[in-house]
Amino acid sequence: MSDTPTSAPAGRIVVDGLPIPYETGDTVAVAIMRSGGHPKHGGTVCLGGDCPNCSAIVDGVPYVRTCQTAATPGLMVRRHPAVGNPSFPAVAQPDITRTPVTDHVSVSRASADIVVIGSGPSGVAAATSASADGHSVMVLDAHDGNEVVAIYGGPTVIVRRPEGMLHVHALRVVVATGAAEIHPVCPGNNLRGIVTARAAEQLHAAGINLGNAVSIGNAPVGVPCTPITGIIVRFEGSGSVSAVVTVGDDDVEVTTPCTTAIVGLGLAPRDMLSRMSGGLPVGLVGQAAEKFALPPCPTAGTVCPCSRVEVEDLEGVWARGFHELELVKRASLCGTGTCQGGVCGPHLRAFVAHHSGAEPEMFTARPATRQITLAEASADTYTDVFRRSPLHDEHLALGGQLDRFGGWWRPWNYGNHEVEYWAVREAVSLGDVSTLGKLVVSGPDAVELLERLYPTTVADIKPGRSRYVLLLNERGHLIDDGMICRETDSRFVLTFTSGGAANAEMWVRDWAETWGLQVHILDRTMSLAAINVTGPLAATLLQRVGLVDPPKFLQHRHDTVAGVPCHVMRLSFTGEASFELHHAADRSVELWRALMEAGRDLGIKPHGLQALFGLRLEKGHVIVGMDSELDSTPRRLDMDWAVKMDKPDFLGKTALVRTASLPDHRRLFGFTMEGRAPTEGSPIWSDGNVVGHVASSFTSPLLGHAVMLGWLKHTPFPERVQIDGREASVAQPPFYDPKGRRARA
Amino acid sequence: MNEFVETLLEMQWHEPKSSYDVVIIGGGGHGLATAYYLATKHGITNVAVIEANYIGSGNSGRNTTIIRANYGIPESVRFYQRSLELYAGLEDETGCWIMHATKGLLWMAHTETGMRAERARALINTACGAETHVVGPQEIKQICPQIDLTGSGRYPVLGASYHVGAATARHDRVVWAYAQGAMQRGVTVLQHTKVTGLLREGERVVGVETDRGPISAGVVMSAVGGNVTKIAAHAHVRLPVRTHALQAFVTNAYGLDFPGIISDSELSCYVSQTPRGQMLIGAEFEPQPSYSMQSTFNSLASCAKKISSCLPFLRELRVLRQWTGICDVSADFSPIMGFTGVDGFVISTGWGTWGFKGIPAGGQQMAELIATGTTPDLIAPFALDRFERDHSMADLGSAGTR
Repeated sequence: MSDTPTSAPAGRIVVDGLPIPYETGDTVAVAIMRSGGHPKHGGTVCLGGDCPNCSAIVDGVPYVRTCQTAATPGLMVRRHPAVGNPSFPAVAQPDITRTPVTDHVSVSRASADIVVIGSGPSGVAAATSASADGHSVMVLDAHDGNEVVAIYGGPTVIVRRPEGMLHVHALRVVVATGAAEIHPVCPGNNLRGIVTARAAEQLHAAGINLGNAVSIGNAPVGVPCTPITGIIVRFEGSGSVSAVVTVGDDDVEVTTPCTTAIVGLGLAPRDMLSRMSGGLPVGLVGQAAEKFALPPCPTAGTVCPCSRVEVEDLEGVWARGFHELELVKRASLCGTGTCQGGVCGPHLRAFVAHHSGAEPEMFTARPATRQITLAEASADTYTDVFRRSPLHDEHLALGGQLDRFGGWWRPWNYGNHEVEYWAVREAVSLGDVSTLGKLVVSGPDAVELLERLYPTTVADIKPGRSRYVLLLNERGHLIDDGMICRETDSRFVLTFTSGGAANAEMWVRDWAETWGLQVHILDRTMSLAAINVTGPLAATLLQRVGLVDPPKFLQHRHDTVAGVPCHVMRLSFTGEASFELHHAADRSVELWRALMEAGRDLGIKPHGLQALFGLRLEKGHVIVGMDSELDSTPRRLDMDWAVKMDKPDFLGKTALVRTASLPDHRRLFGFTMEGRAPTEGSPIWSDGNVVGHVASSFTSPLLGHAVMLGWLKHTPFPERVQIDGREASVAQPPFYDPKGRRARA
Repeated sequence: MNEFVETLLEMQWHEPKSSYDVVIIGGGGHGLATAYYLATKHGITNVAVIEANYIGSGNSGRNTTIIRANYGIPESVRFYQRSLELYAGLEDETGCWIMHATKGLLWMAHTETGMRAERARALINTACGAETHVVGPQEIKQICPQIDLTGSGRYPVLGASYHVGAATARHDRVVWAYAQGAMQRGVTVLQHTKVTGLLREGERVVGVETDRGPISAGVVMSAVGGNVTKIAAHAHVRLPVRTHALQAFVTNAYGLDFPGIISDSELSCYVSQTPRGQMLIGAEFEPQPSYSMQSTFNSLASCAKKISSCLPFLRELRVLRQWTGICDVSADFSPIMGFTGVDGFVISTGWGTWGFKGIPAGGQQMAELIATGTTPDLIAPFALDRFERDHSMADLGSAGTR
C-alpha cells in the first residue's frame, strides 16, 4: 500500500526512528499504512479499536492502539518487537523535591441522567429519545476523543480524553458501541496486507491506494477491488500477502494473487462495556445488542493475536478434557490479552459450540476496555495523609528526625536518644504529646457511660483527680489505654493513645448511642496540643514559668503556664515526675519556646519516641499495639490490678468471667539480660524450642543491661530462657524505681 | 501447539454416584488438594469434589499467585513453610508444570515501626525454618533496580525483610494439577453442581443435598470460599468469619525484567511479574464486608497510586484487567481448619487473602485429618475451638495483605 503524494504533508511523526509524513485527519495507524508500513509487523487491521494489531509504543507508552491515536507533529512511535513483549518504560530516578511531570493527569467530572456511549445511528436514536423524555444526556464517542475506558458502580463512566480523564456520573448508561468486524482465522492471517472491509473504506477515503486489492465476503463500499467468492482457506506470502486461497462449493482451491486482501466476514456485537457492568443500570442498543451468527469453527491459524494462541492450541486443550469456554480460555490463554476477546471471542465461542454442541455465552468482561495507564487511573487520587502537630517545625528546627507513627509525623529522636534519655532521668525534658486522643465527655449520664466503658471504677474519682484506665472490647481484649480526668461531677476529660484515638472516639460515641445515654462527646484531639514536661526538674521549670504550685501525682487542674491557659495533668509514663500541658493548638509554639528558654540552664532537651519507648520500658509500662496483641486480656498483660471484677458490669466483663477459668498459655513477662538489648521481635527459646518472642527491648543506660517485655506462649512458663543466644531471666517490672518514688515525686 | 498447552495433563471426568466415603464441597485449590492427598497418601479414592461453577472459578483463579511463609507467628510460619516446600516439589510429584518460580520477596518498610516489624519477621521466620533476612536500601536496589528508594519523595525506603524462598506459580495450573492427580486415581469432580443443604441424621452430617439430587457421604468437608458461612449454617455451625471483597489487576505484558515480589504493609499493595510478563498488582481487602464481586474504580485508583510511588515506572504501564474475589476473613485473620464439633462435618476456611499459598499444606493436613480422624499437630493451633479457648492466631501484620 502506498499513496501518491498530491500535496505537502500536514506533518511528520517518527516511527522506529524514521520520520513518516501524515495527512490532516490521519491516525497514527493510517499514517503508517500510508507510508506502506504495518503498525505491528502483521495481522488483520480493523482500524476500529477492537483488536491489538495496531498497538505500538506511543510517546513511551506501550500498547497504544494507533488507530485511535491522532497523528500530531513529532509524535514518537515505536513498534512493539516482532517477537516477545515490549520492555518496561525506562526507570527515571525522580528528584524527590519535585513531583514527577507525568504525575499530572487532569481529571474533570460531569454528570448526566443518561450517558450514551457511541454516536452511531442507535446511539443518536437513544440520545434523542432520552432528551425528548426530559433527561439530560451526554453522548461519548471515541471518534470525538472520548474513549470510554470502563463502567463502574454508580454507574460511573470512566473516559479518557486527549486533555485528561473524565469521570461521568450517570443514572443510566446506554451502550451503543455497534459491532466489530470478525477477523479471519486461517493460516497466513499474521501477514501484512489484510484489512477488514471498514478499514479498507477508511484507507480509501484517506486517499491511500490499496494496490491490487481483492475482497472476500462483504465487499467494502466504493473501494476499487476484485471481489472473489468462496471461503478463505489461507493467505499466502512471505511477510506480506501475495495471494489468497479460497475454496468454493466445489471444494476446489482457487489462488488469487493480490497485495491487499479485504475481508468482510461479518460482525460481532461490541458489547464488552455491558458485559463488565452486570447488575448496573446499563442498557445495550443497536448492533451492540444484536445476536450475530457465529463464524464457522476455526480449523487452523492464529485465533488470539494478543496471547498468540493457535487453533491447534484450542484443540490440544479440548483433547485434554477442558470442556467449557472458561476452561478453554484459561488453559489456552485465548482471550486473556489486550483486546479481551475482541478478536478471538466469536471464534472461541464457535470452537466450543462445535465441540460441545451448545453455543456458550461470551465470558464476563473486566475493566478496562480501552486501556489506561496507572497514572491515568490514579489521577486525582491522594494517598494517606499524615497529621502534623503544631510543633512540627519546632522539631525540625531542633534537628528532629521525624517519622510516621500512629497516623502522625512524630520526632523519632533529635540526633541522639541517649542524650534525651538522660535529660529525662537527670534534668527536665519536653515531649510533644499533641497526638494523644482527647475527648471531653459531659452530661447527666457521663459517669454511667464511663462505668460501663471502663473496667475500673469511675464514680469514686474525685473532681481534680485522674486515673489510668484500660479500654477493653467485648471479648475482654485490650484495645486502648489512657487517663480519665474528672473535672466536675458530670464532666470528664479522657485521653487515648495516638494511634488508637480515631477508633476510640467512634467506640465511645457508638456505645453512648447504643445505650441511649445522655452525654455530650467532644473530640478535642486536633484542637488541643499537649506538651509533656518530664524529669526531676520538671516542677522547678514550671514554677519558673508561673505555675507556682504544680499539681501532685494524679491531680490535674486548669492553670496558666508561661501565659498560656493549660489543663495541667500530673502523671508519669517516663518514670519521672511528669506534667502534661494540654492547651490550644495555636498557642503551642509559644508555650514550647517559653519552656525551652526557661529550662536552658536546667539542661532541658526535647525527647523523641525512641527515648520515650526506652524510658517507659524501664518502668514496664505497656504500649498498646506494640506489647499487647489482638487477644491480650488484662490477665495476660499482668494488669488485673486495673480491672474491678466486682463492678456490676463493664464492656468485656462477660468474656473475662468466662475465660478466667480456662487454661491460659500466654503471658507478658519482664525479662532482663546482660549486655545489649536484643532486636525487638527476637524469638525466646527454652530447651531448644521457640516459646515466645520479645515485644519491646531496651539497653538501659542507667542499669547497664537489657530490659525487655516479652510473650511466653507455652506452659509451664520457664524462669530462665535464651534470647539472641544469651541467657535471660524473667524479672518483674518495673526495672527502674520499683516503688515509684520518682514518678510520684 | 504452545508449551502452555503441550504440558497440560488430561482431565478424567467420572460419572457421579449417589454415595462416597468423602464429599468435598468446593472445587478450588483446597478442596482438590485435599482430594488429591486423600487419594495419593491415604488410598481413599471414593471421593467426590462438588463445584458450583467450574473448577478453580473462585478465589483459586483470582488470586495473585504468591507463595510465601514469612508470617509473624511461629504456628503460621511453620504451616506456610510446609506449604512452600510442598509447592516446590509439586511439579516433580504430579508431572504437571505449574510454572513454579522461586523469586524472593521484599517486604518494604518506610518507618521505624515498619522496620521493627520487618526485623521481627526475619527473626521469627528464621527461628521457625523460613529463610528471611533484613536488607538495607542498597541491597534492595540490587535486588530490584526499578525501586525508587525515595518512594517518590513520600515513602522513603528504610529497608525490607527479604524472604528468599518466596515463589509464584500459575494459579489455574495448581488447581488442574491437583484435579488431574485426584481424578486419575478415581476421584469424581462434579462441576456446575450446587450444594443446597446438608443431609443429617440427628446431629451428624451424612451427605449433601444438591440441585442434582442428594449425595451421601461418610465425611463432608467444606472447602468453599466466599459463602462458607451459609454452608456451615446448614450444619448449625456458626463461624467467626466475615466475607470481604479483594481486588487485583494486571497490566499488559512486558519483557521479563522484574525480578521478584514486592510487598508493602504501609502502602498495602504488592506486585510481581507473571511468566507472561504482566505486572500483577494486588491490594488489601475492602474494609466493609460484602459478597459483591463488582470491581471499583476507587480501588484501582488508590492501588495504582500507591504501588507506583515506589515503582514509578509502573505509571506508564497500561491496566489490562481488574477483577474481584470474595474472601472469608476470620476473627484473627488466620485460617480455620479441622473439626467443627458436628460429627461428619469438617472445614477448611478463613483463608482470607492468603489461601493460595496454603493450598498444598492445607490439603495435605486436611486429608490426614479425614483419613486418621485426628488433628495433625501442624494445624492443631488453627482449630475452630481456638476462639472458644480464647487462643487466637492473631497475625494481623502478616496476614492483612497478600
